[in-house]
Amino acid sequence: MSEEHREPEGAGTSTLGNMVRDAAGALVFPLIAIVFALLIGAVIVLATGNNPAAAFGSLVVGAVGSSLAIGRTLLYATPLIFTGLAVAVAFRAGLFNIGGEGQVYIGAITAAGLGVALGFLGPLGTLVVLLACILTGFLWGAIPGFLKAYFGAHEVITTIMLNFVAINLATYLALEPLSGGGLVPGTATIDPAARIPYIGLGLGRTNYGFLLALLAAVAVYLLLWRTKRGFEIRAVGLSPGAANYAGMRLGLNTVLALAIGGALAALGGGVEVLGVYGKMTIPFAANLGFNGIGVALLGRNHPVGVVLGALLFGGLTSGAQEMQFSTDVPLDLTDVLLAVILLLVTATKLVELIVGKRARALAGTRLEGSL
Amino acid sequence: MDDLFGSLGTLLASTIHNSTPLIFAALGGMFSERSGVVNIGLEGLMLISAFAGVVGAYLGNSAWVGLGTALAAGLCFALIHALMSITFEADQIISGTAINLLALGGTGFLMVEIFGGGGTSPRVEGFKEVPIPLLSNIPVIGPALFNQSLLVYLMYILVPITFFVVYNTPFGLRLRATGEVPEAVDTAGVSVTRMRYYGVALSGLLAACGGVYLSMGILSAFTENMTAGRGFIALAALIFGRWNPIGAAAAALLFGFAQAITFQISQEAIPIEFIQMLPYVLTIVVLAGFGGRAIAPAAIGKPYRKE
Amino acid sequence: MTERQTGGGTTEAQAAPVVLEMRGITKTFGPVKANDEVSITLHRGEILGLLGENGAGKSTLMKILYGLYKPDAGSIFIDGEEVEIHDPKDAVERGIGMVHQHFTLIPPLTVAENIVLGAEPRKGVTLDAEGAIKATEELSERYGLKVDPRSRVSHLSVGVEQRVEILKALYREARILILDEPTAVLTPQETTDLFTVLNEFVADGLSIILITHKLGELLGVSDEITIIRDGRVVDTVKTSETNERQLARLMVGRDVSLRAEKEAPKIGEPRLVAEGLVVHSHTGTVAVDGVDLEVRAGEILGVAGVDGNGQTELAEALAGMQHVETGHVHLDGEDVTSLGADDRQERGLAYIPEDRRTKGLVQDFHLYENNALKTYDEPPFSKWGWIFPNVMRRRAAENLRAYDVRPPDPDARAGSLSGGNQQKAVIARELSGDPGAIIASQPTRGVDVGAIEFIYGQLLEQRASGKAILLISLELEEVRSLSDRIVVLYAGRIVGEVSPDATDEELGLLMAGRGAEEKSA
Repeated sequence: MSEEHREPEGAGTSTLGNMVRDAAGALVFPLIAIVFALLIGAVIVLATGNNPAAAFGSLVVGAVGSSLAIGRTLLYATPLIFTGLAVAVAFRAGLFNIGGEGQVYIGAITAAGLGVALGFLGPLGTLVVLLACILTGFLWGAIPGFLKAYFGAHEVITTIMLNFVAINLATYLALEPLSGGGLVPGTATIDPAARIPYIGLGLGRTNYGFLLALLAAVAVYLLLWRTKRGFEIRAVGLSPGAANYAGMRLGLNTVLALAIGGALAALGGGVEVLGVYGKMTIPFAANLGFNGIGVALLGRNHPVGVVLGALLFGGLTSGAQEMQFSTDVPLDLTDVLLAVILLLVTATKLVELIVGKRARALAGTRLEGSL
Repeated sequence: MDDLFGSLGTLLASTIHNSTPLIFAALGGMFSERSGVVNIGLEGLMLISAFAGVVGAYLGNSAWVGLGTALAAGLCFALIHALMSITFEADQIISGTAINLLALGGTGFLMVEIFGGGGTSPRVEGFKEVPIPLLSNIPVIGPALFNQSLLVYLMYILVPITFFVVYNTPFGLRLRATGEVPEAVDTAGVSVTRMRYYGVALSGLLAACGGVYLSMGILSAFTENMTAGRGFIALAALIFGRWNPIGAAAAALLFGFAQAITFQISQEAIPIEFIQMLPYVLTIVVLAGFGGRAIAPAAIGKPYRKE
Repeated sequence: MTERQTGGGTTEAQAAPVVLEMRGITKTFGPVKANDEVSITLHRGEILGLLGENGAGKSTLMKILYGLYKPDAGSIFIDGEEVEIHDPKDAVERGIGMVHQHFTLIPPLTVAENIVLGAEPRKGVTLDAEGAIKATEELSERYGLKVDPRSRVSHLSVGVEQRVEILKALYREARILILDEPTAVLTPQETTDLFTVLNEFVADGLSIILITHKLGELLGVSDEITIIRDGRVVDTVKTSETNERQLARLMVGRDVSLRAEKEAPKIGEPRLVAEGLVVHSHTGTVAVDGVDLEVRAGEILGVAGVDGNGQTELAEALAGMQHVETGHVHLDGEDVTSLGADDRQERGLAYIPEDRRTKGLVQDFHLYENNALKTYDEPPFSKWGWIFPNVMRRRAAENLRAYDVRPPDPDARAGSLSGGNQQKAVIARELSGDPGAIIASQPTRGVDVGAIEFIYGQLLEQRASGKAILLISLELEEVRSLSDRIVVLYAGRIVGEVSPDATDEELGLLMAGRGAEEKSA
């Protein structure tokens, strides 16, 4: 099978050339998925008696048409970068992290509870709280990792189940012991001194959490491609047989990959609390975990792709409000679009039919050939 | 004494109310997973059918029309999952997740388009309680078990029928074989693709029954996101019940009971959230205790490719 | 297993009508011609043996007959009529039944359920379970294949599983039965039972094709034997007119193709030693059954044998990747039995695995990452948990050039290289660490001629510098031309040691398990 993509003998291909080709190949699937989703979206808009051009136009305006709009886009993108990274790291190890929902809640309640207690420490408190979120998320993510490594329990089911456990646990904590006692159900509000400050610049509620998210993306990049641990995680994900042959421990890497994913998602939850809401209300932000899956897939499980994907998702969500406002098209359309993108990005055979087999080879597949 | 029996009766009735959608969805999930296709989209299937049922009942002025539209919606969404996972070899987990998101977004969208928004749809004619003569007069359990919606009676007969189909018909034999060793089925001359489509289609139809019951059996309207995770509880019941129709139904009954009891127990004793956690914790324990996927159909989750 | 059980059969079988003929079958997979103008003839009531080594093309031929592959050229005639077989369903309809080497049974279902799947007896809408059991019992009685219809397949021994597979074919009224290496998984007693059963089939009018590399068994049960080698039919002989030596020579002998020039050996102390090694396969059966061997400095010890006789498990156990039940492994005098693969590698053991696609290389990794696959966590590639890709790149560039990997581009993905270059990349990694002992398992499988020459050169160089090399290969010529000594592995045991000048007959007999009989007689 390797005969098909044979390099010309003796020809040296430059590193940059390889990178460009890799990037181009990697973009094929996401681009096709997005284009198709937009086509389907246009059809739906037409069916409701609206003008697709106007609808999509207002989407764009709502996403990037003003500094407030850009701010909203960044605001919505921030947690998705975290949950997207959480999914991406796990996928690199060959694992499904569907537990983003719960992991975000774990981080959020940690931040909400601890933030109130340590609010007097100001920025130092912020730092401590964020570290705590990383820790609790790490431990929470380690659970399905451990169950998989030592009991063979499939991480898809365990992470889904743990979502509900985490949501219920956090809900209980927010409504009872840590309750703020106000009109809105949830925790007490954290001292403004300990919250993540807004960036300002006309960007509305966008806060430095966005920069933290970018930092997290850089950290994930370094982890995966510049550390020993990352090398192992990638090897185990791409070829458990070869990893085993090389003496790497599959079980340990499984646990660590899921634990790191948990830490990232929990950090996202913490940033939402500390940067946006200042507390954890019940119900809390929804679908961050599931949309993180879409972001990760769209971004081909690469930190750069995740950031871009999160910006796209964030932009669509931000634009949707404007779209509903100006054209009567319900903002749920973007949720539908995101779901369609998710479906298409993984239907490799369908894309193959459209662009032929070469593009698929370029894209480089793993995870049982289905991504 | 009367009081005790009274609350027992209420508890039993409440258990039935809570378990019925779970049992339908779990049975549906069983058909899909037994054929080898993971279906974590049960949540989405139930949601879209709950909505479609209300729309049908609203537009057609009849609960039966609603049932028809619900079944159609469930089947349609299930076939999307089937098309993606079986024919296009997409990842089954992701496809299922996308179905859930599609249902969530889709119902939100259509709520605005059809009913002009708001969290709840207008009221429609539902499947109200219909007492079975004689049986419903049995003390205590009579009213609880036999004064229920027609959909509940459907569930009663579907459980043994499903068991029969899976273990006593050629279709059931082939279905089980497809989920274990598709190569054997292929060489025996039976189409693996066709069996899997049947399995997924059935999951759509049965989940639809569960969804309709939610919106039109107990209540008479659709509320946004009214499934609230029941599809996942049904999945948990399926796994807890070891992919066996009777086991899954029993587990779903147990989980429904757990939901029912949260309203009877005083909040001081155990917070409601911990009881709600129970089905999920139990499932994790089962998975860990029995070696995880060792008990699932062997070929589940992988697209079947001929040599 | 020595003399034929039934006296008659030969002349009658020849007079019988031709029930199956495959004419001029050609099938190519990429550069490999698996079948080259192959023709076979099967008479009614005859047992035809298809004899050949691995990769000779026997399985491909039968898969074509069973509809799993389509031939590039040639035709198939059943009962004199030309037919086209598109898939197994067609084959089954035409009365062809196949018992594969790897069973397709469904463990949670019962024997009866497995047998009737797809053609279930019905009572209205219900599955007629009693009918299925009765049908199974009838077939079981009629053909002497004892099974319990109600038993779950997961509880059965391999021998009984095979009976169920055969019954599956009989239930579909197969008139031509193909058995692919049926005795690979059976005990000697079960083998005898099987052959008794086969003779009963034949008496009932069935015709049988028996694919195997065990020529002793064929002599005991077949009427005619067709020998296939390198995709071509070498000869077809009547069993009564041939003997082991002739068959062995036909099966194994070939024109000398690649012989490497070797210096005179400079043998030193033993560096890699196995003592009483017993290793289980991953299905639990005994794969290596008490092996002793010694590889000395400056020598290449070749391990010959037909695939499936324990080679993989032996290599893995010596490399430290597989658990050893009993016995010891010594490396340069140290007992390393309890050490894992990476510890053994640190002590100077290199392992070129037989499967470069899923073990030797991570196909999606760049070559510089693959080059550091075992050493990524050591300086200079790593410090304090960080890794330095540029250092890896430089080292890889050197290595790739030294070992003639094309293109010598550290950033190329392993999967984009040809088979030969991938193998050279593996060798570059393994040999560049200056190991003391080397295990090379199928080092030139799927590799082009140019790369083969290069790889042989590398191995001989290592030999000249005093390393100990264990060469495990299915290619007899390769073993002959490189090794200083050859041992033959059969059924997990070393059944003989010969020099590279041994005749084809000698080697063939040992590989087919005949030598062992002679020894124990």
